[in-house]
Amino acid sequence: MSAPAALLAGALRPRYAAPVGAAFAALAVLATVRGWSAGGGTVDVPWAPTYDLRFTVELDGLAVLYALLATGIGCAVLVYSSHYLPLHLEHEGRPESEGTSFYFFILLFMGSMVGLAMAQDLILLFVFWDLTAIASYYLIGFDRHEEDSRASALMALLVTGITAVFLLIGALMLYAAHGTFSIPELTRLTEPGPLLAVAGGLIAVAGLAKSAQVPFHFWLPRAMAAPTPVSAYLHSAAMVAAGVLLIGRVYPLIQKSDLLLDALLVVGLASMAVGGVLALTRDVLKQLLAYSTVSQYGYVVFMYGLGGKYGAAGAAFYVIAHALSKSALFLTAGAVTEATGEDRLSRLGGMRKPLPMLALASGLAAAGLAALPLTIGFFKDELFFGAALERGPVFSALTVLGAALTFAYIWRFWSGIFLGAPRDGACGVPVALVAPVVALGALVLVGGVFVGPFAELAVAAGTVSYDAPAVVEPAYHLDARPENLMALAAYALGVLIVVSRPVWSGAAMGVSRLGEVAGPERLYDLTVRGLNRFSDFVHRAEVRDLRSRVAAILLPAGILVGVGFLVTPTEGAYRVGEVRAQDAPLILALLSVAVASLTTTITRRHVTLALVLSSAGFVLALVYAFFGAPDVALVAVLVETILTLVFVATLKLVPRKVLHRQAGLPTERPRRKVFFSVIAGAFAFAVVWGTLSQPAAERSVADEHLRLTPEAHAKDAVTAILADFRGLDTLGEISVVALVLLAVATLLNAGRLR
Amino acid sequence: MILTISLVIAVIFGAGAFLLLQRDLFRVVIGIVLISNAANLFIIASGLSRGEPPIYPLPEGSPVSDPLVQAMTLTAIVISFSVAVLLLSLVYRLYTSHGTVDLEDISEMEVREAEALERESDPEREEEPASRPEEVELREDTR
Repeated sequence: MSAPAALLAGALRPRYAAPVGAAFAALAVLATVRGWSAGGGTVDVPWAPTYDLRFTVELDGLAVLYALLATGIGCAVLVYSSHYLPLHLEHEGRPESEGTSFYFFILLFMGSMVGLAMAQDLILLFVFWDLTAIASYYLIGFDRHEEDSRASALMALLVTGITAVFLLIGALMLYAAHGTFSIPELTRLTEPGPLLAVAGGLIAVAGLAKSAQVPFHFWLPRAMAAPTPVSAYLHSAAMVAAGVLLIGRVYPLIQKSDLLLDALLVVGLASMAVGGVLALTRDVLKQLLAYSTVSQYGYVVFMYGLGGKYGAAGAAFYVIAHALSKSALFLTAGAVTEATGEDRLSRLGGMRKPLPMLALASGLAAAGLAALPLTIGFFKDELFFGAALERGPVFSALTVLGAALTFAYIWRFWSGIFLGAPRDGACGVPVALVAPVVALGALVLVGGVFVGPFAELAVAAGTVSYDAPAVVEPAYHLDARPENLMALAAYALGVLIVVSRPVWSGAAMGVSRLGEVAGPERLYDLTVRGLNRFSDFVHRAEVRDLRSRVAAILLPAGILVGVGFLVTPTEGAYRVGEVRAQDAPLILALLSVAVASLTTTITRRHVTLALVLSSAGFVLALVYAFFGAPDVALVAVLVETILTLVFVATLKLVPRKVLHRQAGLPTERPRRKVFFSVIAGAFAFAVVWGTLSQPAAERSVADEHLRLTPEAHAKDAVTAILADFRGLDTLGEISVVALVLLAVATLLNAGRLR
Repeated sequence: MILTISLVIAVIFGAGAFLLLQRDLFRVVIGIVLISNAANLFIIASGLSRGEPPIYPLPEGSPVSDPLVQAMTLTAIVISFSVAVLLLSLVYRLYTSHGTVDLEDISEMEVREAEALERESDPEREEEPASRPEEVELREDTR
């Protein structure tokens, strides 16, 4: 099992050429298949034992399915981009070397996707989850000189990143209740109840946002600003698939809550409807495909919501079929755009003549998505209908409608490109742009004939999700069973939708416009803009004035201290302390310090101010002496002398005119300042009084110092402490003084500005 | 006694905070010096015992002052002195570059400078508001 992991680690390193990347991807595919045929495996290493985090990966059915998707389609995409990317960069007029970061991030993405597929630990899952988000940010914003591209990348990152926090919160809630992050253990431990519903719901929200389900769907069409290979990979097979992968992974938890299943049903249905209708209105090729992805993953979520073995295994099968078809269609869109320079349906047409192979291959892919017989898509709809039939006629009718919508918009896509009158300006495209589409189209066809291996994979994945054997056997039945009838009904309805286009196109456009005006995308825009404005405001308020900056630090600190006081019990916390007769001089000195300090606030002239300050300092030295600290008193006198001299000297350097102006200025808004100062003093008072009232019970350290002083060949305990017991402190202090000296010398002399 | 010391420390701290809010940079420096004084007094007052100086020969029978807080106060005094000197030279430096020691004048000048920078920068820069504050801050730091 470690083989694929090691190979992928190799693939993560920046490879400077597409072939190497593609080869690594192919190797990873082989290694995954080998690992799977060898019966899977588990790697379980304690990662951060302090927090109960384990690096647990297991190659189970679900992991194999998504790892194969990620590496296999990734391989096709890499082959495709080896020719697409140089062309793309040339169009943009950028050096070819910029392609390197593209390969790096796409391989990083692939690696984290495989890790995500195999992770069995919620925190590990979260780490890989965010890795995919980060890689996708750089991939979507690959054309970084275009603002639209950057905004789309940011949107994708914000939507998936913020909802990823929900995943983390859900994981922590489950950990708090059950003491483990491991999904299999949680499956065993959890009981249905409100906690599970909330935690599972949070995790599901993260999955739904990543899968671009309503109401988080808006980021996906915007993300189509990315180069085509990225769209093909991230938005058909990988990134959006990660969402349903997460749901499939935690499905054993989710299916214990009926509420969550119902929620999945609703979200899936809404996504099917919104995605399908909007796909019918879009003109830009990739936008159409993006909305179709929204609706297709709506089906998957819907199937998970239906539950049962058909739901779990069917959803897995649906993901395979969809990823194969959709990535082929995306690559088709890219190739066609590359050939003609057009990316709108209304300006394309008749491409079957210049690009016959592409037409055939993408026709197969389209047929797969539309669920025509002989393609793998037929079985996906068979399972889909089967799952719906278990729940009753209403759901069956809805699924038929959904399938019909799919049929209609896929027909629109394919016929719009390849049928109709030929246009001028088309030229051939390199083989490497067609080959991956052909390969994927062929796979769709092969899956339609030999469904066995695909079904096996889906059953294995479904078994993991369902937490019980989920055996389904998709096959052709040439009789009038309900599934077949529903498929026929879907085709008929689809044709009807295509034919009756003029009737509904107005209504569909109306829906799409309504979505633009009142949809969640607008909400997102408003939020981002508001946050921007708020950050500008804070920046202006905080940076432009030193005092506001000080306030920005002191205010929260003060609030925190205040909160601390409010929650601390105050009973007996304060003592007045005794006053002895011999303390009178000390109190007198203290009072003069206080008076001197107060005087500084009302003194106008600077020299007076400096002198008042130094008088306060000298009296303070006296206070130290009364405290029985002659050393401190001596140093304080020395320091105070020097400080006074420095102060007066600095004042001398600044012309008297400038100082006079300052001295003459009245204090503006004095009441506010006095108020703030009183508050500050009150806080200081509370803190100091509280601290001094509760001295530590023992004084062993001081006694020890006193006892050891003779052994340090000293008579003064304080000097012994400074020079010996705590010598390192003194060393640090000396370096601070030396540093300040250097800084002052530099400031005064060298590098004069003007 | 505890109450008296606490009150005095609070008064010194409050006076320092008041000066810190002034627009005159010299007063700001003095405010910081006062606040450090309050802190030093606090440290020495938090000694566990108060009495004779802790110098050998120790007096018999009467209590000896806590030597540890004294050593710490010494360190704190020296450090706060360094800080005050550094601040003073910074103020002087600001005076040489801006010709004033008034906070409001200086910040006004900086706002004007930032706006001039914004006007100079090419339109593509304008789209990235995130890069502008960093530039301005960098300039402030290097000045």
